[in-house]
Amino acid sequence: MQRLDRIVESSARSLAQRTSRRSFIGVLGRILTGSLLIPLLPIDRIQRAEAATGPEGSPAKGKSAGKPYTEDQQNCEYWKYCAIDGFLCSCCGGSSHSCPPGTQQSVVSWIGTCHNPADGRDYIVSYNDCCGKASCGNCDCYRNERERPLYRLSRNNDVNWCMANTGSDYHCTVSVILGSSGP
Amino acid sequence: MNRWLLPVALLGATAAAGAAARAGPAQDYALHCMGCHGASAQGVPGKVPPLAHSLVRFMNNAEGRRYVLRVPGAANSMLSDAQLAAVLNWVVAQFDADELGSATPQFREQEVAANRHTPMAGVLATRAAVLKEIAAIGPAPATEY
Amino acid sequence: MRSFQAWAALLAMMASGWAAASDPLPPEQFGMEPLPARTPHWIYVVDSAFMNETDSRVRLYDADTHGHLGQIDAGFFPGVTLSPDRNTMAVGTTYFARGGHGDRIDVVEFTDMTTLALTGEIVLPAKRAQATPTYFNLGYSSDSHFLYAAYITPAASFGVLDPAARKVLGEIDTAGCVLVIPWGPDHVSSICDSGRLLTVTLDAQGNEVSRALSDTFFDVETDPLFVQGIPTNQGYTFLSFLGKVHEVDFSGTEPVFHLPWSLLSAAETGHWRPGGQQLGAIQRRLGRLYVTMHRGGEGTHKKGGTEIWVFDLGTHRRIARWPVAALKLGPVSALQVSQDESPLLFLASDNPAAVATVDALTGQLRHTDTNLGQTPWQILNP
Repeated sequence: MQRLDRIVESSARSLAQRTSRRSFIGVLGRILTGSLLIPLLPIDRIQRAEAATGPEGSPAKGKSAGKPYTEDQQNCEYWKYCAIDGFLCSCCGGSSHSCPPGTQQSVVSWIGTCHNPADGRDYIVSYNDCCGKASCGNCDCYRNERERPLYRLSRNNDVNWCMANTGSDYHCTVSVILGSSGP
Repeated sequence: MNRWLLPVALLGATAAAGAAARAGPAQDYALHCMGCHGASAQGVPGKVPPLAHSLVRFMNNAEGRRYVLRVPGAANSMLSDAQLAAVLNWVVAQFDADELGSATPQFREQEVAANRHTPMAGVLATRAAVLKEIAAIGPAPATEY
Repeated sequence: MRSFQAWAALLAMMASGWAAASDPLPPEQFGMEPLPARTPHWIYVVDSAFMNETDSRVRLYDADTHGHLGQIDAGFFPGVTLSPDRNTMAVGTTYFARGGHGDRIDVVEFTDMTTLALTGEIVLPAKRAQATPTYFNLGYSSDSHFLYAAYITPAASFGVLDPAARKVLGEIDTAGCVLVIPWGPDHVSSICDSGRLLTVTLDAQGNEVSRALSDTFFDVETDPLFVQGIPTNQGYTFLSFLGKVHEVDFSGTEPVFHLPWSLLSAAETGHWRPGGQQLGAIQRRLGRLYVTMHRGGEGTHKKGGTEIWVFDLGTHRRIARWPVAALKLGPVSALQVSQDESPLLFLASDNPAAVATVDALTGQLRHTDTNLGQTPWQILNP
């Protein structure tokens, strides 16, 4: 996410010079580096009710339960991969939030929310792809929480999110925390 | 506890009071716009128009304002009319503050409601027509992006 | 051929000097196997080859002989369609100049379905929707005059192509509505986030004459529509996440939306769902709908089915439930049915990868093939 960080950082810096530090302008950069808490996300009631029952329709596991929300960032069940449909970059030389060496960060992405049962919060995550190389092929995950069909492109996994890159071959997907809410 | 601090300078008072228990425009931008328009509202050349140094120039023109509210990404978004007004006002405050004139009216919930559900025939053609109109009276957003 | 004949003559000379109990095998002709005549029990299996996604393919299979008939290369995230006379397959795809990288070339390639020879191509602007295969990524007008290609850049539009002249005629901006559902000679519908269909009407040169938005017929917030429509005699039938059936009639001057009905009882709704890639098929002669169903909640709409539910389209009643496990098959993510009088149902799983051929009347397993692709996400029956 280096390019994104640089853009955000320079933008935040120049904006911070004109505005109060407590305004959202200066805050945007910190949101994107995950260090700022933001309030509960506007998830509609139906979706929250279903989220409470867990992705398979079974009762949600509590904080103390180990599975399926493991701490293993190379496991499809890791909490912030709740809508990853593709290969985990953490299994391909990258990490859960960074691209493997030599690949390019997707210039567009879709941004969703995942629930972290370990701390009970909902987080905004950006599903960026890493592009420009052939399929990684490792850790193929197929989760689609709150994913929606192609006509709702901003929530869709059926399309190649490398589409707007010059090299649009899809290699793997990351999930970058943008911000969280309080308990 | 809500540790999200509302900026004093946030345009659109409608957002402030009710926002303590709900997400605000910065978060709405992240969830509903940023994926394509970018963290600095810069867009993607040739593919996604920028909002920075662009959105504000639509706001001083009636057709420009209608266009913004009817763009599919805005009109069809999951945001309520009030939220859409707030996020648009937030975008210009964040990214076009240097061009934002005090005479530029903010978007209001009622204006959003009145316009967003009128579908556009073709986005690019409408945009081009609107830009011509804007250019006739002041700085216009770039035609190419 | 001359070199083969020379070798044959030499070997015959050598053989004649040997004491042999039987005549040696005659020399062979090295030629090309002709494609047999198409039968209703052929399928074309679209393998998106997700683990090696620049190498997707369409494999031709004869479900009566269990024979593999041939292959069509399909590049990266293909959209596949057949001409109305079924004699041409158009594959819209992307190739990169250096395999997994390099210049992007979007193209529609045409294959003669009587010989499997490539007969030509149209190079597109690099805007093609790189998405999972449905009937609506690429489509012909009813008279074969136009071919339409869905574009997503992420802005949504579609290309209007002239398949005979092999050229791009133009592009139609769809204001966020996606995919191409051609009907009649000059209408194309796209599906909108607002729950409506956009229909664009074209003139003989492929330029827009008019457009219209339907009333809303689904609500994406409460019960989204799957985009994978199922062909019917009058148009297409769409399923929703919660198991509603939306029959849309495209045989008139505008789309007509029949009252939706549910695959599920009240008790089942929300617990059993359709899921997968190509999640339903309709046997038009019998009036039967087959759907791949699973137990699950939010987020499971792409989960392959553990049961195939069979419905009578006249009464809307479920007439059978066939457990997939009994067929020794993994979860079913794509299904197709033949339209003849002895119909076969084809069920594809990608975990593990296999395509099962099943009697469409009884649900009895006929045969399973595990070499029809690694991620067979769409099955066409010509």
